[in-house]
Amino acid sequence: MVQVWAEVAVAVTKHAPQLPELGAALLSAAMALPCVMGNAHAESAPEKGVFSFKYLNYKERQQIGADANTGNAATYSKSGASAFDDRIRVKASASSIMVPINAEWSMSGTLITDSISGASPAYHTEALTGMKDFRRAVDTSLTHYLPNGTITLGMSHSGENDYISRGVSLIATRATEDKNTTWTAGVGINRDEINPANRIVFNETKRGTDLILGVTQVVSMNDIVQFNLGYFNGHGYFSDPYKIYDERPRDRSHQTLQARWNHHFSELSGTSRLAYRYYTDNWGIRSHTFDAEWVQSFGNGWSVAPALRYYTQTAAKFYVEADPSLSPFPPNPPANAQYFSEDQRVSAFGGLTMGMKLTKQLNLDTKVDVKLEQYGQKGAWTMLGSGSKGLAPFYARSLQVGITHSF
Amino acid sequence: MLTDASTLPIHRLSFKAMGSACEVVLTANTAPEAEALAKAAIDEVLRIERKYSRYTSNSIVAQINQQAGQGSVACDTETWSLFQFASQLFEKSEGLFDITSGVLRQAWDFRQPQLPSAQQLANLLPLIGWHQVVLKDQTIALPIKGMEVDLGGFGKEYAADRAAQVLKDKGVTHGYVNLAGDMRFLGPKPHGEPWMIGIQDPRHPDQVIATFPMSQGGLATSGDYERYFELDGQRYCHVLHPQTGWPVKHWRTVSVTAPLAVLAGCTTTMAMLKEAQGLEFLESTGFDFFAIDQAGEVHVHS
Repeated sequence: MVQVWAEVAVAVTKHAPQLPELGAALLSAAMALPCVMGNAHAESAPEKGVFSFKYLNYKERQQIGADANTGNAATYSKSGASAFDDRIRVKASASSIMVPINAEWSMSGTLITDSISGASPAYHTEALTGMKDFRRAVDTSLTHYLPNGTITLGMSHSGENDYISRGVSLIATRATEDKNTTWTAGVGINRDEINPANRIVFNETKRGTDLILGVTQVVSMNDIVQFNLGYFNGHGYFSDPYKIYDERPRDRSHQTLQARWNHHFSELSGTSRLAYRYYTDNWGIRSHTFDAEWVQSFGNGWSVAPALRYYTQTAAKFYVEADPSLSPFPPNPPANAQYFSEDQRVSAFGGLTMGMKLTKQLNLDTKVDVKLEQYGQKGAWTMLGSGSKGLAPFYARSLQVGITHSF
Repeated sequence: MLTDASTLPIHRLSFKAMGSACEVVLTANTAPEAEALAKAAIDEVLRIERKYSRYTSNSIVAQINQQAGQGSVACDTETWSLFQFASQLFEKSEGLFDITSGVLRQAWDFRQPQLPSAQQLANLLPLIGWHQVVLKDQTIALPIKGMEVDLGGFGKEYAADRAAQVLKDKGVTHGYVNLAGDMRFLGPKPHGEPWMIGIQDPRHPDQVIATFPMSQGGLATSGDYERYFELDGQRYCHVLHPQTGWPVKHWRTVSVTAPLAVLAGCTTTMAMLKEAQGLEFLESTGFDFFAIDQAGEVHVHS
């Protein structure tokens, strides 16, 4: 979906390279003429191939000794006295290549390897257990370009010691005659095999089906809006085998609604990207995500993009609240409870991400970028109810460097 | 069976439209296939020519001109959007690009080396001025009898863009549409190299003075050598200043590449009309250009 979005954005901006005001105004006027400019990208394969390499360094940490009863760490920044435990650390690399075969077909492939190490709590934010894993994932896709749309067939495989995931997907896009509206529909099927190292379960599986339906509308020379609906239905082992007291329903379904709006401010050479996503599932989790990004272009190929994201979710209905008074023991799930989890990821919390991306276009074909993100998460930061109590604030930062080259 | 467009032969199909030699260049499996594709594009050019020709008495342009000083004429969507575009050009060029300036043809006949009298021009100048035109609810009214609109200023380039779009919709990804030098490109040559388009030397029109490598977008040229006469060592070209009624003098030729042919075309014309400020104007558009001034000096931005 992200790619479709990007392609449409490119289709609009490709013919409008960073023009000065007068050129942009003339182009904007000419584009209002009927049918003088179509969306070439919906019809023919890209002329050039693209290779990109990204390296990601991600590191989590969680505060210890915070006022865990409220999950409020307001005192820590002032006193500076609180200590932190390092949690998971991920070093990942992703190499992608897209090759046009001819005007009607293109192929893409991505190889991701990541090594994960560190410690993860066995319940809530307590009882750290060391872990180390290595994952290799391959995505491949084949795209066919038709006069008014595209069809993409994708296959994915991801493997680590205890988890193998395989998936196939089919996504079709169709543009209207004036090329201003693009419809997207997709279906994906996934099958995962789970064989945890602790042998808590053996040869477990999880199957899921994803459906997406979206529409992208070019509203004007400077505006694109997009709406996506997503539906997932899965069956199988959704529990986390490495957590204490984790027994989740074997059925999961969720629905998402997403809206995006990109607006280009010609006079400022900047673009605002706003997005909102609503999520709801049959486990009782509802979430809202708000994204705001500003992409500021400067001369000589430089651009800077500060970004802000707020995420908030309710807890799953089987989430068991933390009780720090029992530490070092986890609270027992309610008697007779069929499902329960003490994983902080299904608790109620709010999270804030601040990011900054710096991009330099070296020449027509090559660009490099660096992105730094800082994430903070607390029960009290939720805007849905009062948030889960007794969880230590959680922080993460990630640094990503990348190079993209067209050939 | 897939056909790889990069192995297809190139076909050139010539035709005559808008009083000039035109051609469609594209790749196709066979000559009949190329002809069928080109026919759709040529039909589109001829449709626009018929619809907007000022020589066809029942064209929308002829109707509007006949109604000058009498009343308004309802426009279809396409015509209305062309007038909206004309308004934008008028505004962006501070009144220099004016589609009502065609009446000056009554004073200038480039087949005769003869200057109009001051009285002749003085009679015509009040009939020029897009700002006087009343555009309302998709109707147009020329307020003074004798006023005329003329889409010749960008009609040919618009036709090139539309014809190219017809080909694009039919899946053509290599080739171009050339309407007497105003061109719109659909993609590079089959193996990816650009088409090398020569620009005429304004003083030796049989020679090429510059070459533009083109794969996408539009290319247009305006020059003082297309229609002109010389009198007493002075060249009088067909690009007429709407406020003085006299030919512009500063540029011998201006070529511009822009995302659309219609954009390249109006930019060359505006640069010619801007005369000494033309260079600054060209630079402020951000489009690539090649221009030669009256002293023979070359100005390039690419």
